[in-house]
Amino acid sequence: MTVMITVEAATDGRRHSAALVAGLVLSGLVVGAALLSLAWTPYDPTAINVAGRLAAPSGAHWFGTDAYGRDVFSQVLAGAQSALAVALAAVGVGLGCGVPLGLLAAGRRGWVEEVAMRGSDIVFAFPALITAVLIAALCGPGAIDAIAAIGLFNIPVFAKVTRAAALGVWARDYTLAARLAGKGASRISLDHVLPNIAGLLLVQATIQLSLGIIADAGLSFVGLGTQAPRPSWGRMLADSQTLADLAPWLVLCPGLGVVAAVLGFNLLGEGLRAHLNPRRGA
Amino acid sequence: MAWPTILKHLIKSVVILAALAVAPLAAARDSVTLGLQLEPPGLDPTAEASAAIPAVVFPTVFEGLVHLGVGGTVAPLLATDWTVAPDGLTYTFHLRPGVRFQDGTGFDAETVKFSLERAIAPASTNPQKVALSHIDHVEVVDALTAAIHLKAPYGSLLQVLGWPAAVMVSPASAAGNVTHPVGTGPYAVAAWQRGNAVTLARNPAYWGPAPHLASVIYRFIADPAAATAALKAGDIQGFPAFPAPEAITALKADPRFTVDVAPSEGETLLALNNKRPPFDNVLVRRALSHAIDRQAVIQGAMFGYGAAIGSHYPPQNPGYVDLTGLYLHDVAKAKALLAEAGYPHGFTATLRVLPLPYAKRAAEIIAAQLAEAGVTVVLEDVEWATWISQVYGRHDYDMTIVAHVEPMDYDIYGRDDYYFGYSNPAYKALLATLDATVDETRRLAVLGDIQRTLANDAVNVFLFEYPYFGVWDTRLRDIWLPTPVQLVDLATARFDQAGPGGATGGLSGAGGIAWLLGLAAAGAVALAAAKAGPRYVAGRLAVLLLTALAASLGIFLVLQVIPGDPARVMMGMSADPAALAALRHQMGLDLPAPQRYLAWLAGLARGDFGLSYTYRVDVGTLMAERLAVTLPLTLYAVALSTGLAVVLGVTAALAAVRGRRGKLVKGNVVDALLGGIAQLLIAVPNFWAGTVLALVFAAGLHWFAAGGFPGWDAGFWPALKALTLPAVALAAPQAGILARVLRGELVDQMGQDYIRTARAKGLSLRQALLRHALPNACVPALTILGMQFSFLLAGGVIIENVFFLPGLGRLVFQAVAQRDLIVVQGVTVSLVFAVVIVTFLVDLANAAVDPRLTGGRRP
Repeated sequence: MTVMITVEAATDGRRHSAALVAGLVLSGLVVGAALLSLAWTPYDPTAINVAGRLAAPSGAHWFGTDAYGRDVFSQVLAGAQSALAVALAAVGVGLGCGVPLGLLAAGRRGWVEEVAMRGSDIVFAFPALITAVLIAALCGPGAIDAIAAIGLFNIPVFAKVTRAAALGVWARDYTLAARLAGKGASRISLDHVLPNIAGLLLVQATIQLSLGIIADAGLSFVGLGTQAPRPSWGRMLADSQTLADLAPWLVLCPGLGVVAAVLGFNLLGEGLRAHLNPRRGA
Repeated sequence: MAWPTILKHLIKSVVILAALAVAPLAAARDSVTLGLQLEPPGLDPTAEASAAIPAVVFPTVFEGLVHLGVGGTVAPLLATDWTVAPDGLTYTFHLRPGVRFQDGTGFDAETVKFSLERAIAPASTNPQKVALSHIDHVEVVDALTAAIHLKAPYGSLLQVLGWPAAVMVSPASAAGNVTHPVGTGPYAVAAWQRGNAVTLARNPAYWGPAPHLASVIYRFIADPAAATAALKAGDIQGFPAFPAPEAITALKADPRFTVDVAPSEGETLLALNNKRPPFDNVLVRRALSHAIDRQAVIQGAMFGYGAAIGSHYPPQNPGYVDLTGLYLHDVAKAKALLAEAGYPHGFTATLRVLPLPYAKRAAEIIAAQLAEAGVTVVLEDVEWATWISQVYGRHDYDMTIVAHVEPMDYDIYGRDDYYFGYSNPAYKALLATLDATVDETRRLAVLGDIQRTLANDAVNVFLFEYPYFGVWDTRLRDIWLPTPVQLVDLATARFDQAGPGGATGGLSGAGGIAWLLGLAAAGAVALAAAKAGPRYVAGRLAVLLLTALAASLGIFLVLQVIPGDPARVMMGMSADPAALAALRHQMGLDLPAPQRYLAWLAGLARGDFGLSYTYRVDVGTLMAERLAVTLPLTLYAVALSTGLAVVLGVTAALAAVRGRRGKLVKGNVVDALLGGIAQLLIAVPNFWAGTVLALVFAAGLHWFAAGGFPGWDAGFWPALKALTLPAVALAAPQAGILARVLRGELVDQMGQDYIRTARAKGLSLRQALLRHALPNACVPALTILGMQFSFLLAGGVIIENVFFLPGLGRLVFQAVAQRDLIVVQGVTVSLVFAVVIVTFLVDLANAAVDPRLTGGRRP
């Protein structure tokens, strides 16, 4: 048994460092594209050129052009920027609200914990996309709508993860010692619990980031996310639907952008998790 | 243990569903739903200019004395024949006997006198008042003979009488025609749901042959993508004046549709305010004509459909002169002309853009083209109502893009108060000559001069002749008649008897599903109670009820704060306050919120979801219809995902275990490869997978339809086939997740002692894995599966949009847009209940499998 576990750890370990590297490369590519698009894109992503519309990929236009003759490569770069912005902000919402909630639940226990966890269950029970539609009806479609909708569902995720991990830390001897030294629950949560679960939260944040990118693409696909003329992957895909057989690159390029981003952050999270906790990676 | 049970359940549900679905429910089809882009502001074609009015009521509800046919030919309608006096000043019409208005009042010469003199009265707002004002008065010769006396000879009178603005109205009802139109036509307006639809019903007292279709519903769908989706989903069976030229190529290739493309009478113009500097300078107007590349506009705005024009005249009409060569695209010439006019550095002007796709696209392209010539264009979006009052009414604009769809409307350039602001005595003289000319050859020569004058003066930038697209369900016959004013003939339209249409088989299917789910739930509760103890079950049940209650309250509260009053949305902007209050009372919206919540909750407990605000039908019925698509799709996807996940997970686990034991060197490679595939499946968004699948298997290989749903009554296999690509797209990411969980669990289980025992008894690795490890690995997999089922039920929304499936998701989307809050409430609460119940069942199933779970606290 022991022999087998070491073998498992060794092989899985190699696999996970491969995942980590692949994740770093892909997510680095996406983040790089987003940062690059802040400073430079080959063409103005919103500039129209009818004469060069629906041009196939070439040296001049790496990913071709769309129905207005806009450069798809520039749009994909700029799309990375809006996708990351929405997903990061949504993770921020989740961290900002969910972590304190989880810490509170673990620190106080009792009815506070019960209410927080049942509340999370109720949020989980809501269909995410329909909630986003309702939020859009409430405050108008746009990036804010996407952030609010995705962020809302991030809150219970972080609350649950935080609570579970925090409970483990609370069971440790050093928290007991801190409590005997007269520290209050909130001080202990901040001084001892939070630093100990930070790694885990980072892993979860990376995974939620990848989920956020896929959700943002879905929302802008149905017209609820980032609005025109700002490029977004989901809307590019939606616009390309009726042109799919005329110009397949319009479907492929933004889609590959989404896949690269989601796969990248997923693998990164996976690799990080294995790094932090090498014994139980799978 | 667990997984064969689930599989059995799945198979059973699918089989029962299929049996229910195949049951023939189709009725003979005598109703058609057509899409229209713009909702008319009222329904009286004699009161307002909007082309959306005749699109609904002409010649369906209202009829004129004559029918204007192909190429401007005039045929009898309410007049059976007529004579023209030699001096051209008197037209005597013999009227059709026995014609009655839909309110029972008779039609006679008095009606003709009333209708036409009302149109030219000082207070008249008739959109063709100028043309009709050639009439001096109407004389009642006898009950069935009316003589029209003109002020001066007017060669186009018969054509003008065929226009929607010259229809016959009854003195008894004319004042109310805006909201309750009463005409002599084959159809009468039965209902008007503001913002959604107008329903026409067959007029049983029609004087002519009765139309084939008993009712016609016009649904207003402004968004071109939504129009395409509604057609493909079968929500509508036709779209006259289809607004999405970009979708025409794909629709032509789809055997479910016939596509007609015809030239229309719609001259699309970049209209210029000839009274306002710098457009009062002909050099500037000519410069703009040179600066614009018409072919690029046609390519970019119309995807190549539409013919370039050089003047205000349709290329297909007799007397057409090709003047497109007069102002060739030449930026240098445009700049030179601007310099000559005194604008060497160009100028800045605003372009008012209507919310129409061709106008929006053309505006962006024209702005870019004019920028090259040094003219800075500021685009400004205006609503149709704003455009009518601001641009058309007050002439407050620089430039605008609009298609002028009236036939032979070159006379508008002779009107001093028209919004172009064009005034040329020579042109007015030409119009007068044309009116006085009877000889056809000479008339055509004058028409040529008319076209040349407009082109020389470059009154507007003449862009292209708007093409008319009609998209129809292939089974819909005899609806398309290419005539100048009216292309859709509902009097002859009928459905092909060969095929029934529409998804109506939902009800019994949904009933069966509800029955099935109830049975499964009761069984699971009983099983769990037996295994895990009734106290545990009771506790879980209490949590379930509390969650459901909290969720329903949450939904209700959110919907209270959403802006937009459902009653106002239904009544339109110009709603009468008293009528609005009455409707609010009828809908129960005037009750206090807590009372409404309790009433709704009490209804839910009885299974009554309330009445839809827009459709006026039971929400439960609406949901059941849509569930007949969504639930089979979800089950199909879960089945596919489970199958794929088991194959992937088991193979990967087997390879991993073998690799570790050194028995198969390649094992780890296979394991890693399958792990990569699972990761990739997870990373692919299902809607993108759907688009790519449609591209490959529908557009490329033609194995499947690219979207739409034939309805279960079209047969089990066609329906299943339509659901296959969407189900695969939905299943792929779920399979990836499930495969990873399964592999992890299997690898764990294979390290356990009982597997060693099994192996010691002589089982092979594969046998041990399949027989012993797999059932145990199913506990966590079951939890994931339950979560996935609820996710897919609601998560199919986007996929339903990709494949144009008339499912629950599309219902919610429409309902939110129309503020049909009771539908949104009903669907959302049902989905939440479904999630809660599935979670509950999964918990119970887990407890039944592993009673230890009931003891400890839930994590």
